[in-house]
Amino acid sequence: MVVDNILAAIDVLANGHALLLMAVGVAAGLIAGAIPGFTIAMAVVLTLPFTFGMSAHLGLATMISVLVGGLSGGLMAGILTGIPGTPSSVATTFDGFPMARNGEPGLALGIGVWSSFCGGIISAVLLMTMAPQLAKIGLEFNPWGYFMLVMFALTITASLAGKNMIKGLIAGALGLLLRTVGEDEAAGMARFDFGSDALLGGFDFIAVLIGLFAFSQLLNDVRDPEKAKKSLTQRSSIQIKIEHRRAIAEILKRWTIVVRSSLIGVFTGILPGAGGSIANILAYDQTKKASKYPEKFGTGIADGIIAPESSNNAVEGGALIILMALGIPGDVTAAIMLGALLMNDVVPSPSFISDEPVLAYSIFISFFIATFMMLALQSVMLRIFVRVTKIPMYVLASIILGFCGIGVFALHNVGFDLWTLLWFGILGFTMRHFGFPLVPMILGVVLGNIAELNLARALAITPDLTPFFTRPWSLFFMIITIFSALFPMFQGHRIKEKAWTLFYLPTACFAVSLPLFMMGGVTRPALAAFLFCFGTYLLWQRKQNGWRYKA
Amino acid sequence: MKRLNRDSIIAIALLVFCGVFFWASFDIRTPNYGVLKPSAWPRVIIGIMSFLSLIYLIQSLKGNPNIATAGKSDREPGFRGWVDYWRNPLWCFALFFVYLALLPILGMLIDGILFVYVLMGVLGGWDGKKPLTHAYIAVLTIGFMWSLFTFGLGVMLPSGIFMDPI
Repeated sequence: MVVDNILAAIDVLANGHALLLMAVGVAAGLIAGAIPGFTIAMAVVLTLPFTFGMSAHLGLATMISVLVGGLSGGLMAGILTGIPGTPSSVATTFDGFPMARNGEPGLALGIGVWSSFCGGIISAVLLMTMAPQLAKIGLEFNPWGYFMLVMFALTITASLAGKNMIKGLIAGALGLLLRTVGEDEAAGMARFDFGSDALLGGFDFIAVLIGLFAFSQLLNDVRDPEKAKKSLTQRSSIQIKIEHRRAIAEILKRWTIVVRSSLIGVFTGILPGAGGSIANILAYDQTKKASKYPEKFGTGIADGIIAPESSNNAVEGGALIILMALGIPGDVTAAIMLGALLMNDVVPSPSFISDEPVLAYSIFISFFIATFMMLALQSVMLRIFVRVTKIPMYVLASIILGFCGIGVFALHNVGFDLWTLLWFGILGFTMRHFGFPLVPMILGVVLGNIAELNLARALAITPDLTPFFTRPWSLFFMIITIFSALFPMFQGHRIKEKAWTLFYLPTACFAVSLPLFMMGGVTRPALAAFLFCFGTYLLWQRKQNGWRYKA
Repeated sequence: MKRLNRDSIIAIALLVFCGVFFWASFDIRTPNYGVLKPSAWPRVIIGIMSFLSLIYLIQSLKGNPNIATAGKSDREPGFRGWVDYWRNPLWCFALFFVYLALLPILGMLIDGILFVYVLMGVLGGWDGKKPLTHAYIAVLTIGFMWSLFTFGLGVMLPSGIFMDPI
C-alpha cells in the first residue's frame, strides 16, 4: 500500500515539467533565502499565485522546493557576508563567517550545504514515517479534542512569540475575529459585512497572508531611505569553489552532531509557532554545551556550522508532520501550504493521508527531491547570489510589490483581494512596529473556521459542555494549553526562584497523566504511570533540597 | 499609575475595536436551525480579546517593561519628524492606493509599470541615469510577469480602457 503510494507519487513528479518547476523553485528559494530582509515565508507565499493553474501535486512540489531552497539559501549570505539571510541561519554566522574570514570560505560553504542536506534528509525520513502514524492518533480526536487542539496551537504560538505573551494572544484573537468576517460556514449568515457586498465573501486567506507577511516585510526593508538605496555587497564576482570532499569528511567525523541537531530541528518544527529561528540557536547551544572544546566556538569551527544548518533544514519536516497528520500548521510556511491545499479544495485533517495518499506522498517525495536539487544547485546559485545582492533593496522591493499586485489579483480575479492586500499590509506593518507578533495572528486566521466548525459539531452532538472536561483528548489538550500559557511566567519567575515554580513541572506531570490514564490500552497508561512517577520524584528531590532547585 | 503612553492608546483603540464588533454582532441574523448561533463564536472571541486588551491596558498604565513597544527610534520630534521617518512606507501605501484606484482605467500592465517606475523613483531618487534604468526595469519585470500570467497561465488580468480591444 505504502509502496504503491510512493510509486504513484514518483509517477506524478518524475517528469521533465515537474522537475523543471522544482529546480526553478529551489533556485528561487536559494536566492530569496540568501537576501537579508526577505524571509522564506515571503518567498513561499509569493510562489502561491504562480501555482494556482497547476495541479495540487505540482503546486505543492514547487512550493516545497522554494521552501527547501530558502532554508539553505540563508547560509550563503551568513557565511560570505556575516549577515544572516534568514532568521533561521543566525547561528550559522557565528562560526561560518569566521571560517570564511580565516581563508576557508569554500569549506565553510561545503559544510553548510552538506549539513543542510543531511538535516533535510533526516527530517524527510521522519516526515514519511511519523506523519502516517500520528495521523492514526489524530483519527481518535472528536470535535471536543480537535477544538482544544486548535486552542493549544494558538496559545503555544503566542507564548513562544516573544517576551510579551499578551500581545501574542491579542494577535491570535484578532486573527480569529477577522476570520469570522463574511458568511459563516455552518449557517450561511452574513457577519460583520457592515452593509458591503465585498465583505460578505470575507477576506481571502492568501491575500491576507501576502499582505501580512510579504507586503509589511517589504515596507520594513525600505523604511530607512539610506539603507534602501544600498546593496548588500559591492563584490562584482566571486571565486569560491565549494569543497565538497573535505566538507563530507568533516561532517562524517561529527555525525552525532548532525543527528542530534536534526532531531532538535524536527521536534522544534512539531511545536506550533517554534520555527527555524529557535531551532538553529538551540542546536548551536546544545552542541556547544556537549562539546569537549566549547571555548573554540565562535572562532570558525565546523561544529558551529553543522549544528545550526542541520537543525534549520530539519524544522520544516517537523512542521509538515503536524500539518499532514493533524491539519494544524506548525509555522507560517506550513500555514501557507495549508492555504495551497485549501486552494485546491483539499482540507488537511487527520484523514488527509488516507483520503489523499498520492498527494500526501508526493509532498514527502518532493521534499526528498528538492533536498537533492538544493545540493546540486547551490554552487550555481552562488554566482547569481552575488549578482542579486548587488541590486539595491528599493529596486527589489518595488518589483516585488508590483508582483504582489499581479499575483494576488490572479488568484480569484477579484479586485477586492488587492484592497485586502493593502489593508492587511498596513495592519501587518503597524503590528510589527508596535511589537505584536504576526505568527499567532496568521494561525488565528488559518485555524479560525476549523475551531468554529468543531465547536458547532461538538454542540450539535450535545449542547452540554462537560465533554470538554471528560473526553481524554480534549482534557489532554486543555491541560497542556493551560501549562503552555503559564510557561512564560514560569520561565520569568524560575530565575527569581519563586516558590510556586518548584511545583510547575511536577503538577504538569500529574495533570497530563490523568487524560493519558483515561485513554485506555497499554502504552498510554504506562506513559501516564511514568509521568506520575517522574512528577513524584521531582517533588521528592525538591523536598530533599529544602524546597529549592539545588541544595 | 503613569499617564497615557503609546501602549495604553493602542489598548484603548483595541477596546474600541472590540466594542464596534460587539455592537455589529447584534446585526447577525439567527436562523431557526443549528445549535451554535452565528453570533456566538465571534462574541466569545470579542469577549476574550476585550479581556486581554484590558490586561494590556492595565500593564501599560503600570509601566510594565515586558510590554513596552519597539525601542527608542532616531526620529526627530513632531509631525514633520514623524513624516520624515516614515516617508518611504507612507509613499508605498499612497502609491499602492493610487495604483488600485487607477487599475480599472489603466489596466494591470500599464498601471503596474507606472507603479513600479514611480515607486523606484520615489524610493531611489531621480538623479543621473536612474529614470532611464528604472524605466526599463519596470517595463521588463512587469511586462514579463503580465505575459507569464496572461499567456502562460491564461489569467484574465484587467485590461483597462486603453487596452480593452486586446
